[in-house]
Amino acid sequence: MSSTTATAVQAYAHVYPVLLLSTVALRFPALVADPVAFLSQSLLPLAVLQAAYVGICVVPAAAENSPGQGKPAPKKKRPGQKNAAAHEASPVAEAFRKLVPPLLSLLPTVLLGIPIMTIVIILFGAPVTSHLQHTLLLASHVALLAGPALVGTRGVDTKRWRAVISLETPLDEAVAAALGTLIGMWIGAVPIPLDWDREWQKWPVTVVVGAYVGWAIGKAAGLTFLKGRIIELE
Amino acid sequence: MDNGEPRTEYEGIAAAFAKAKAVKEKEEAQGLRENTADNKRAEVQFKASHGLLVAFFVWILLLHVFGIYLFTSGFLLTRLVLEEKSKCDFPPIPLTQGYESGSTERGCWHPKSFDKAVVVIVDALRYDFTVPFRPTPEDKTPHHFHNALPIFHEIASQQPNNAFLLPFIADPPTTTLQRLKGLTTGTLPTFIDAGSNFAGTAISEDNLVAQLRDAGKHIVHLGDDTWHSLFPGYFEPDLTRAYDSFNVWDLHTVDNGVNEHLFPLMHPSNSSRWDVIFGHYLGLDHAGHRYGPDHPATAAKLQQMDEVFRRLIDALDDDTLLVVMGDHGMDAKGDHGGESDDEIQAALWMYSKQPRFGRSSPNFVEPPPNAKTRPVPQIDLVPTLSLLLGLPIPFNNLGAPIEEAFIGASGHDYENMATVARLASAQVHLYQYEYSVARGLEASATSLPKRLWAQANTAWNKVKYADLSISIPEDYYRDAYASFHLYQTETLAVCRGLWARFDVPAMAEGIAVLVAALAVLGVYARGLTGDRAEVTPALVLRGSVGTLLGAAIGACVGYVISDMPFIQVIVLGAATGSFAGIALGFHYVRRRLQNPFPTTFWGALGVVFTLMLSVGFAANSFTIWEDAILPFYLATCGALFFARALRRRETVDRALGAYHSVLFIILTRVSHMSRLCREEQMPYCKSTYYASATSSTSAWWQLLIPFMLAIALPSIIRSYYVGTRSYQSSAPFWIGLALRAGLTLAALYWLLDAADDGGWFDVSNDAMKTARVFVAQVVLAIAYAAGYSTFAWSPPLLSIQSTPQPIVANGGASSIGILGYANVHGTRYFILVTLWALAIILVQKPMGGGAIGLCLWQILSLLEMLDATDMKASSAAIGPVVLALLGSFHYFTTGHQATLASIQWESAFVPLKAIRYPWSPLLVALNTFGAQILCAVAVPATVLWKVPPKQKGLLGDVAKATATHLLVYSAIGLATSMWAGHLRRHLMLYRIFNPRFMMGGVVLLVVDVVCALVALGGTRWSFLSVAEVFGW
Repeated sequence: MSSTTATAVQAYAHVYPVLLLSTVALRFPALVADPVAFLSQSLLPLAVLQAAYVGICVVPAAAENSPGQGKPAPKKKRPGQKNAAAHEASPVAEAFRKLVPPLLSLLPTVLLGIPIMTIVIILFGAPVTSHLQHTLLLASHVALLAGPALVGTRGVDTKRWRAVISLETPLDEAVAAALGTLIGMWIGAVPIPLDWDREWQKWPVTVVVGAYVGWAIGKAAGLTFLKGRIIELE
Repeated sequence: MDNGEPRTEYEGIAAAFAKAKAVKEKEEAQGLRENTADNKRAEVQFKASHGLLVAFFVWILLLHVFGIYLFTSGFLLTRLVLEEKSKCDFPPIPLTQGYESGSTERGCWHPKSFDKAVVVIVDALRYDFTVPFRPTPEDKTPHHFHNALPIFHEIASQQPNNAFLLPFIADPPTTTLQRLKGLTTGTLPTFIDAGSNFAGTAISEDNLVAQLRDAGKHIVHLGDDTWHSLFPGYFEPDLTRAYDSFNVWDLHTVDNGVNEHLFPLMHPSNSSRWDVIFGHYLGLDHAGHRYGPDHPATAAKLQQMDEVFRRLIDALDDDTLLVVMGDHGMDAKGDHGGESDDEIQAALWMYSKQPRFGRSSPNFVEPPPNAKTRPVPQIDLVPTLSLLLGLPIPFNNLGAPIEEAFIGASGHDYENMATVARLASAQVHLYQYEYSVARGLEASATSLPKRLWAQANTAWNKVKYADLSISIPEDYYRDAYASFHLYQTETLAVCRGLWARFDVPAMAEGIAVLVAALAVLGVYARGLTGDRAEVTPALVLRGSVGTLLGAAIGACVGYVISDMPFIQVIVLGAATGSFAGIALGFHYVRRRLQNPFPTTFWGALGVVFTLMLSVGFAANSFTIWEDAILPFYLATCGALFFARALRRRETVDRALGAYHSVLFIILTRVSHMSRLCREEQMPYCKSTYYASATSSTSAWWQLLIPFMLAIALPSIIRSYYVGTRSYQSSAPFWIGLALRAGLTLAALYWLLDAADDGGWFDVSNDAMKTARVFVAQVVLAIAYAAGYSTFAWSPPLLSIQSTPQPIVANGGASSIGILGYANVHGTRYFILVTLWALAIILVQKPMGGGAIGLCLWQILSLLEMLDATDMKASSAAIGPVVLALLGSFHYFTTGHQATLASIQWESAFVPLKAIRYPWSPLLVALNTFGAQILCAVAVPATVLWKVPPKQKGLLGDVAKATATHLLVYSAIGLATSMWAGHLRRHLMLYRIFNPRFMMGGVVLLVVDVVCALVALGGTRWSFLSVAEVFGW
């Protein structure tokens, strides 16, 4: 990787959360006016952006940081031929090699992450008999925020995922961002019952905003002061 | 201590036990009784420390009683009752137009309009029951309660000079006793009486009934017996008929009784035997409580009332006034007590065969379409009725004469209107003067009314000096009327503010006592090292000596100082003495003290949840939505338990911990589907507790829940017993047989109840009731008689068996193994929890029974979770804290809310036919606080579940867990009283903060009692039983 690309990648890594957050902030009125429309329309762009981010920043960084651990993980599904393709470095193959991990990272996110998050959100008290669309879209956004980077760094290895869920793994950008997303959602639920009669208190606006803000803060924290720490559950 | 450990070391332990047993047998055979003597001594020691622990928690209860008493004595409204009575020949202001006061024949202060009156209260007659249904965007089709009682509206609009119908607004609390006080004295209620609905006391203030009696009138009362506790001996004994008012299941006895005796009195031959009849119909109120307003039974009741009043109008003579009113309304479920619109909007209808009534505007001929238009306060009835019947206005009255009754048939008689308004206002003025002298009111509170009073008198005097050639007197009278009326409404507003007059020092003392009690409990629960059973004797001794000394000193001081009420001084002294004593106690054991604040993640979590809840009660929204916040916290706890379980190294621990934490979360969510919304949650909440939002009966599918419980619950409990092979000895008898039979009978009870409600069988109500009550009593007998006998005398749930792999004990050839060893304490104690669960399930509605069943299941999975994640209450605080959150949460899933109206009074009649003390209040408490009681009983299990039988310091750990559990409730009790005190001028005080404070206080005391006597007290038998086998 050339140094200019590396700088560009790094710059993008810093700009990306700001970009995503400011988009949500700018489009906040649209989110409040019609959460279902806004959340469903933004789903695909979010998926593309997240996958691109994983492809550009997360996977290379993970590969660099822990060559022994990071690399095989995302590729577990299709090992042999891609490793071979990487060495040949033909432009098409190179592009293909760069495209696969991010696309792969979306698969478990969508297939497992979204249903699990939907169930979790309902278990935490979201309505079951109404607003299912809202809840599903919220779960999709949350899964797309937290999922790809985790899959990108952890693959689909059960042991490593267990370490993530039990927070037994040293915090890095991906885990801290996911944790931040959940905490953000939790705090985002707090203002819903208040009797302020604001339009934005409706389901799931505050939780969406909480998730995005929490994700960005967690990401930043995971890169800086939380990096490498293990959360004690004692 | 891990779950796996006993199993892996199973053989070793079995061998040790066999060895010990063999040795013991040998020694006993040889006559060496030392072991037994040691055991005897240890047993006596255990009983003594157990007794002292119970004493300590009773002492804690006492501290909470002191704190709540002091706070309550300052917080609940106080109003000075003036004993003065109005006199017929002593009007409050000189009369005009040469009218002479003092004649009851003509009218004391003003010419009377009627000689006689029939005053009928239709309990819970809401205003919208009486007016035709008008579709609104929210409410497009009429309900059962609409258009069923048309007579009032019909006559008032067709014969406006003979009748009028108006919304009649009650002052909360909307309980019948409080309302009768307001309707007869004309004053505002004080909250302190609200709780005394079970036993009313005589009114000592001046009132309408007393004035009638003093004027020598013959007064008859028919119906609700609350009148007799308020006005003992006022009524003609040979004509009066009183009926029990609390049997809300009975819709017809009272109403039929009133009809039976009312109509004969209307006959001309009997007309000389009475002057005023007070009738009180209760059927509508009972139909509301039992079925809710939107139910055919309520419509039938309203139609019956319609017929009654048509007959009554026919029977009425020309000189008699007929007044019909509701004392309060009912909420969407048919209950009342609070201050929501539906509860305070009653109806008032007056009728006379003479054209005595009028309207000041032709627009007013048609009665108001809803209760928001031209409402009159209920206290206005007092001056209106007094003046119409020629009586003096009761001394303490704050109401105003109702316009329709005095404006004359023409609608222009402003001279009469101004005259009566002047009289009523002058009486208010006199009363205010006397009150401010007696109580020393601040000038700021009285300056505006004073100015308005002067203005009103100026307006009145203008009439005298007016140049009648250029203006008509009517305009002056109209002005004078308006000014007097303004004075009266303004004074009323001032009084409303004033009688929310709080004794701030007493409140502060109460808060201080509660804070100190919290600190004592906090240090005891978390700030002591080692075995609490060892230090408690020193603490109890010093604490209780301090209490007694303090009370004695308080009594002495109370004699000297007369500023404060005597009892208050004693209580304050006792509380101060208690804290001084316990401080000495803690000093004595200072080597055992440690930092009580949490140092671990889980300790902090418990504190954070408690604090967040406590702080949240300062906001009305968080108080309103408490039922949704608690499951959110519980789910969070479950998720964190899940994370912790995944960290366990042992696969069994990991799997069990993960499974039970997920189960715990799912059960929380499922329970949360049982909801009873409070009015403030609308429209964001859907009630599921009853068949519909406007009924208080169960849907058909809800009747299946108790049967499902009977099938599933014993098996679920069993599954938690078989894991450690503890399902033996008396467990199969109690859980598999007795508990299941009890649950089946409880299900049968609710089926019979529904059959009675729906009239499914052609059997008399009385026979149904007898059968139902009998079934319920059998269930209670199973729970308490059979359950407690099993709990007290059962051996530990163990059995000794030959094992396939023989383990040869030293000195013997027998090969034995013990089944149920791993959870001997936990399963033995848990019998107590199941027997309480049975009794609590019986007194809940079918849906609530299901919720309690889920609660029990959650308790069991919490116990497994605590064990699998190594967080038993002996080392971690989180278990007892989660139990407190769980209990608070299931309070809501059992169909309750922090409002007076949600109390399910009818639960008093589950096993009884009539009110019986002390059982009826206890049953209501068991229904209301069933979830908190169940969780409190389960607290010792958080220590005892899956511990080795001879672990040291178990009793002290139970005390520690109990204190931790109580910490949560005392923090909430303290917070709710603090917020209620701080927000005492808040608009929502009586609607939200005061009910939550009352709930917080009562729950704290109930949990104190249950923890000390039932839970901690119960461990005595389970410990003794385990020690019987394993020794001390």
